Parts: sequence; C-alpha cells; structure tokens
Amino acid sequence: MAVQERLERLPYGLGRFTPAWYALAGVLLALVALGAYAYLRQLIEGLIVTGLRDLGTMRGAAWGLYITFDIYFVGVSFAGITMAALIRLLNLEALKPVSRMAELLTIIALLLAGLVILPDLGQPLRGIVNLFVYARPQSPFFGTFTLVIAGYLFASLVYFYLDGRRDAALCAQVPSRLQGFHRLWAAGYRDTPAERQRHARTSFWLAIAIVPLLVTAHSTLGFVFGLQVGRPGWFSALQAPGFVVMAGVSGIGLLLVVAAILRRVLRLQEELTPAVFAWLGRLLLLLIVIYLYFTAVELLTSLYAGHHHEVALTRALLVGEYSALYWVSMGSLVLALLLLVGQVALRAYSIPLLVLSGLLVNVAAIGKRYLIVVPSQTHGALLPYGVGWYAPTWVEYSIILGLFALGTFLYALFVKVFPIVEVPAVQGGKR
Amino acid sequence: MRTVLAILMVLCGFALQAVSYFFLAAPLGIPSGPEYSNPRLPLAPLLFILGVMLVFLAAVVYELLPEREQA
Repeated sequence: MAVQERLERLPYGLGRFTPAWYALAGVLLALVALGAYAYLRQLIEGLIVTGLRDLGTMRGAAWGLYITFDIYFVGVSFAGITMAALIRLLNLEALKPVSRMAELLTIIALLLAGLVILPDLGQPLRGIVNLFVYARPQSPFFGTFTLVIAGYLFASLVYFYLDGRRDAALCAQVPSRLQGFHRLWAAGYRDTPAERQRHARTSFWLAIAIVPLLVTAHSTLGFVFGLQVGRPGWFSALQAPGFVVMAGVSGIGLLLVVAAILRRVLRLQEELTPAVFAWLGRLLLLLIVIYLYFTAVELLTSLYAGHHHEVALTRALLVGEYSALYWVSMGSLVLALLLLVGQVALRAYSIPLLVLSGLLVNVAAIGKRYLIVVPSQTHGALLPYGVGWYAPTWVEYSIILGLFALGTFLYALFVKVFPIVEVPAVQGGKR
Repeated sequence: MRTVLAILMVLCGFALQAVSYFFLAAPLGIPSGPEYSNPRLPLAPLLFILGVMLVFLAAVVYELLPEREQA
C-alpha cells in the first residue's frame, strides 16, 4: 500500500533557491569564515589572543564568552523538544504548527553548544579524547556532556527524524533534485495504519523519556555552577531550577522570533495563526514570572544573610562594575513581562509585540548568562587575590558571531530542503 | 519481534549505563588514593554514552524494522 495522499509539487518553496536566499547564504558563510579564521588564530597562537586568563594570581576569568554562549545555546534548545513533548503528552494541537521548527531550533542550538566548547578547550582534540577515556560519569561536567549531547541531542535527532518520515514520504513522490534525500529520510514509510499507530506509540514513549531528561540535563548544567562551594554567586540551590526556567524563557522567546520570520517569509499565515503566538506568549509570561521570583529570592538571601564575599559580589552586580549589564538584562526582562501582561490582560495579542518580547528576553538571557559566568570569577575569590577583570577580544566575538551565522545558515538551508511545517492531511486526493 | 527487540535494546542501554557508572568508571566515595581519579576500565565513559544512545536508538529500530511479509 502506497502513501495515499499525493503532492502535486513540493510545498513551502522547497528546492527553490532564490537570489535573496543566495545573498543571505553568502553573508552568513562569510561570517562563518571570519569565525573559522579567528579560531585558527586562537589554535595557532593559543588562548593568549582571547581575554581569558587564569583566576587568582592572574586576576582573570578562565570562563568567558564561550561558556556564556554554551549555556545560552543549551538554554535555547529547551524550546523545541519541550514543545514536541508537551504537544504529544498534553495533546496541544494548537501548537502543532511550530513543533518541527522548534525541534530544528533544538538540534541546531545543541550543535552550536557542542561546537562553542571547542574554542574554550586550549587543545580541543586532547580534551575530546580524554573525555571518552578518563571522564568521571558522576561529575556534573561529564553529566552535562552525556545528558546534553549524547542524550538530549540524540533523543531530539531521533524524535525529529521519526516525526518527519511521513512528510518525507509525501515529498519523495514529487520528481525533484531532492527526491533522493526525501526517499532516504522516508526509509520505506508508506503511511499505513500500522505505521501510523507505531509512530504514535513511539513518539508517546519518546516524549515520556524526554521530559525528565530535559529537566535533568538543564539542572546538571546548573549544578556545574551551583555545586562549587568555594565560589560566591555560584553556590546556590536555586542554580539548577533557575537554569531550567531561564532555558525555557530564552528558548520560547527565540521560537517566537523564528516562527514570526518563517510565517512572513514562507507565507504561513494559515498554519501559524495568531492563536499559536498567543499560546507561546502566555507560556513565556509564566516562565518570566517564575524566573523573576527566583531572582528576587536569590538577591534577598545574598544581601540579607550572605557572607561578606557574597555581599561584595552582589554589590558589584547591582551598583558596581557589572551594574550596566545587570540592569539592561533585568530591564529587558521586565519590559518583556509588561508587554506580555498587557496583551494577556487585554486579550489582544500582537505578533510584532510578541516578537519584541522574544527578542528582549534573549537579550536578557545572554546578559544573565554572562553575569552568572564572569563576575563570580573576577569578584568572587575567597582568597585575598583582589578584584580581577575580563574583556573579550575580537577573536571571541568573531567565533561567537561565526557560530550564530552557522546556525542561521543551517536553519535557512533546512527550510529549503524539508517542510518546516507538517504537510496537512488531504483526504483521498491531491494537494 | 519488533517490540521484543526494542525492549531488549532499552534494557541493554540502561544496563550498560549502570555497569559503566557503578563498576567500570572511577570508584564512588571519598578519594583516598590515585585509584579514585581514573576509571577502572579506560573508555568506561564512552560505554556510558553508548548506553544512553542505545536507549533512544530502540525507537528507530522499533519504527524502521521492516514488516514481516504476509504468507
């Protein structure tokens, strides 16, 4: 029995590479090349070309922009697989149109998270080899790698692949340059009732397995900081839940932005209705409120009853060296909250305002990640080394820019080779 | 057959994780010697990762295994 539905041509502009797409790809690849050149310089000359220095006597920060963006990318990955799992487990049909674009966001964000660690390792190959040979599975560092890369990324890839087989089978019927790719992805899928039932069962169990994995992976990343007893600002029971919630905030925020761009570029007004954006907006609002509550609790605890090192660090954040970034981050978060509260209260949702909220929370997420990683190293020493400093160099900025460009390029390429929205079912006829 | 194979893969994956975590990696406990710093079997971390991947690979096997031909 063959696939019963038929496509007359590939949907959503698949396989049609326009001059505008080539121009975008050219700019993105140029930025990737810049990032690669910067990384090459770092590989040849060493970490001296970055702003990273040893803690203590060197008065620097060993973790800087790379670790900041590693946490940010892992956070962004939260959106996709959470969406997919929640849609499946809670039967949230309203959010189904964003499911695949969210899953792709997860996969690309996790790839970038894996890649951004490489420049942080002075000699990447030595680090990668030793990890597999000597690492301690009980360590939060290894846990992060295992759960995030091996578990989380692999589970997302499996979910994404299996979820796309039906659409791949539909697209494989259309003669095109991509037919071989679609046929390979479909792997013999024929959309029989038995196959559909099997897929429903698999995706249900995968969703069940993914939700605890998701919480554990993000918490473990929080434990990397939260379990360091000798580092004021990091040692806190709220790090793990805070990481989970902030991951949700940045992930849902970026998903709003991506969904709005794709809605406009691919003319997906029918599929991505304002109701989808309203759902995401309400979810984002809930997560922002929880995160602000955590922030208030942490501030109150450290200022009211904190050790003097803890108080000094908090003062550096609130009124000291890091205050500008702190208040920009908090201001962005509060502004996004107000925009969302206004829309929920009036029950009138505006896609541009929701996208603005998504952008604001991502500015806040990057800022907050930086403020978690850096100040505790420069201002959080328990030994009397004095205050340190850290300023990223052009090498670090270029590598990060190159990674963003790589992620955007991969996303833009995928949108041209595979349906980013599930192809709707058509009863017994052609579409 | 399909279900049995998938369940076996899941069980093997979890078993591999448990064995590598508790018996092949560096021992648990308060470090009192160099033996606490190194895995008892080199590449034990890789086995743990393979265990995690095997669990999720079961889903692919479950869906992709070809149907048995009807007589």
